[in-house]
Amino acid sequence: MEAPPVTTMPVSGGTINMMEYLLQGSILDQGLESLLHRLRGLCDNMEPETFADHESVYLLKGQQASPFVLRARRPLDRPGAPWHLRYLGQPEAGDRSRHTLVRNCVDIATSEVLPEFLQEMGFRMDHEFVAKGHLFRKGAMKVAVYKVFRVLVAGTADGAEPLSLSYLVELSVVAPAGQDSVADEVRSFAEQLRPLVQLEKIDPKRLM
Amino acid sequence: MGVTCVTQVPLAEGKSVQQTVEILTRKLEQLGAEKQGTFYVDCETYHTAGTNVGTTAQSGKLLYIMHCSEHPLSTFALFENGPCLVADQNLDVLMIKLKGFFQNAKANKMETRGTRYQFCDFLIKIGTVTMGQSGRGISVEVDYCPCAVPGDCWNLMVEFMQSFMGNHAPTVPPVFNSKHDALYSPADTMMQYMELLNKIRKHQQGTVTGMRL
Amino acid sequence: MADPLNVGVNLEAFSQAIHSIQALRSSVTRVFDCLKDGMKNKESQEARERSFISDFQDNLHCVNRDLNELERLSNLVGKPSENHPLHNSGLLSLDPVHDKTPLYSQLLQAYKWSNKLQYHAGLASGLLNQQSLKRSANQMGVSAKRRPKAQPTTLVLPPQYIDDVITRIDRMFPEMTIHLSRPNGTSAMLLVCMAFLITPTLDIWSKSNYQVFQKVTDHATTALLHYQLPQMPDVVVRSFMTWLRSYIKLFQAPCQRCGKFLQDGLPPTWRDFRTLEAFHDTCRQ
Repeated sequence: MEAPPVTTMPVSGGTINMMEYLLQGSILDQGLESLLHRLRGLCDNMEPETFADHESVYLLKGQQASPFVLRARRPLDRPGAPWHLRYLGQPEAGDRSRHTLVRNCVDIATSEVLPEFLQEMGFRMDHEFVAKGHLFRKGAMKVAVYKVFRVLVAGTADGAEPLSLSYLVELSVVAPAGQDSVADEVRSFAEQLRPLVQLEKIDPKRLM
Repeated sequence: MGVTCVTQVPLAEGKSVQQTVEILTRKLEQLGAEKQGTFYVDCETYHTAGTNVGTTAQSGKLLYIMHCSEHPLSTFALFENGPCLVADQNLDVLMIKLKGFFQNAKANKMETRGTRYQFCDFLIKIGTVTMGQSGRGISVEVDYCPCAVPGDCWNLMVEFMQSFMGNHAPTVPPVFNSKHDALYSPADTMMQYMELLNKIRKHQQGTVTGMRL
Repeated sequence: MADPLNVGVNLEAFSQAIHSIQALRSSVTRVFDCLKDGMKNKESQEARERSFISDFQDNLHCVNRDLNELERLSNLVGKPSENHPLHNSGLLSLDPVHDKTPLYSQLLQAYKWSNKLQYHAGLASGLLNQQSLKRSANQMGVSAKRRPKAQPTTLVLPPQYIDDVITRIDRMFPEMTIHLSRPNGTSAMLLVCMAFLITPTLDIWSKSNYQVFQKVTDHATTALLHYQLPQMPDVVVRSFMTWLRSYIKLFQAPCQRCGKFLQDGLPPTWRDFRTLEAFHDTCRQ
C-alpha cells in the first residue's frame, strides 16, 4: 500500500494540499486468487508486486482536543529502502454525489532515524501492525490488496499473526485538491470489481 | 560527497564581511581553485508551541529545518543534540500541518549564500551568513570528496585549510569525534551548519549592534 | 561431344573448321578454274561437252561436300565465349554509356592504389623491423614471430590453484576483502575493497571522478608491470597485494620526503615498491 505516491509534483518546498481519494472493501481468503486474476487483467501491464510493511502509528498530544496522528511505515522486504511517513487529514465522506472518501494527505520519504526523531518531537507510539499483500497500478490509481497482521512483540514484525481470514482491498488516487473527476474514475474502476469485492466509502469515525 | 568541515572565519581587521570574503576567495584562486557556481544553506527554527501536556521534557527544545543546494530535493530536520532526519521536501508541508504544535520563529531564519570552488578533490564553499537583511559573518565549508571516514583525512584537511585560512583553520569539529571510524553523511554537514549558525545568532543576540555588510 | 559448356575451348573443332574453310575455298577455286578453262580439246563436240559437264558436276559436288563439312564443324565451334579474361569487370569496358559510368576507370585506379599501398607497407614494415621498440634488453634479437607465443603458456593456471592462492591472500590481509569472480569465461577478476573506499556504484571500466584515485590507478598499473616472476605467479600476486595494502593509509600518511600531506591538492599517492613508504608523485625520485 505504501509505495511512494504515484502523483508527485515536485514543487519547491513540497507539494501542498494533496488529497487522497479512497474506496475500501474486503475479500475472504478464498476469493483472493480470482480477485488477483481480475486485477492482473484490468491494471497496467506490470510485474505483480508484493509488499510487506511494518506500520507504527504515532500520536502527539497537545492542548488541542484531538491528537496529531502520523504513520511511519518501514518496508520489511526491501532493506535499505526509505521509510514512509504519512499524515492523513480528517476523512470527508460527503453526500451521495461524491463517489469516494476524500482526505488530505502528506507523503514523505525519510531516513531510518524516523522513530527516534518522532520520539524526540514528542510523539508517542500508539499502535502498530504489519501489512502484507499485493500492489497493482492503473494510471495514477493504486490498488492494494493486503492482510493485516497483529504485532505480538512490540517493535518487531517477527511472529506477527493474521488478524482475520480476509484481505483488505483499497483503491486510492493521490491528486491535488478539487479534482473530483478522479473520484469518478475510482468509482468506475470499483464497478468492474463487482461482485468479487464491494468497495465503499468507509468512514472510520462511524466504526469507533 | 566525502568528509566535510564547516567553520567560521572572523572578519579581517578593519574589513567588512564583503572585503573579508574577497580576501579569502583571492587566496583560493591563487592556489588554483576554480569557481563552480553558487550555493546556499538555509535554516529555520521551530519552537514547541505552548506547554505540551505530558511531554514536559520536550518543552523548550528547538527544532531546526534546513535545506541546502548540494541536496536540493531534501529537507533536513534536526535537534540540537538529537537525531537528524533526512526527508524529501514534503516534510516542509508537514511542518505547516504541525503549526499547532511547532511554531516557526520567522525572525530567526538564517542562511548562508556564496560561491562554490573546486580544487583538485576538494570542494570549498565560502558564504555570507545573513539573518534578516544584514550580513552577520562568514562561513567556510571544505569538503574532501574521495574519503568517507572523518578520522582518516582530518590532518590532510587541516593542512589544506591552513593554506588559505592561515591560523583561522578550525579545530576538530565535534561531529568528527563522535563518529571517528564511522562513515560521514550529509546529515553531519547540516549538523555543523546548524551549530555554526546558532553560534553566530547567539553572538548577535548578545551584541545588539549589527555589522556593516 | 557437342558439350555447350566446352564450346569455348573446343580448339580441335576450331582447327578442323579452319581446314574445312581452306578446303572449301580450294574447291570453289577449282569450280571457277574449270569454268575459265572451258571445254577441253576432245575429238568430238559431243565428247567435249560431256567431259566438261561431268568435271563441272564433280567440282560442284566437292563444293557442296566441303560446305556441309564446314557447317557441321561450325555448329561444334558454337558461339564465341562470354568469359573474358577480366571476368565480369571486363564487360564494363564494353558499356556503351561509358561517360555516365566511370566505374571501370575508378576500379583500375583503385587497383593501382592497392598495389602501391601493399608496396609501401612492405617497405615500412622492413624499416620498422630494423628499429623496433623493445621493452627490455633480453628480448633483443628475438624475432617478432616467436616472442608472443612463448609467454602465455606459463600464465595459464588451473582455476582451483588461483582460488587457493586468493583465499590464502584474503586471509593474510584482514583490512582488505578480496572478492574473486569470473564474469566472462576463465579470466578471473579480483575486487579488492579497503575500509576507506566509498563505492556507491562500482563501474570497473570508467575512471574515478577523483584525481587521487586516478593517480592510484596509474601507480597500480605500474606496480603490476613491476612485480614480475613468471616461475612463481602466487608470489607476484602476494607482493602486489602487500603493496596495494599500503594504501590503507592513503589519507593518513604524510610524504616521507617533504613531510606534508598535500601537494597540488593530492595526498602522497605513490608507494615505494620495496619499503612501501608514502611519497608524493613528484617527491619519489
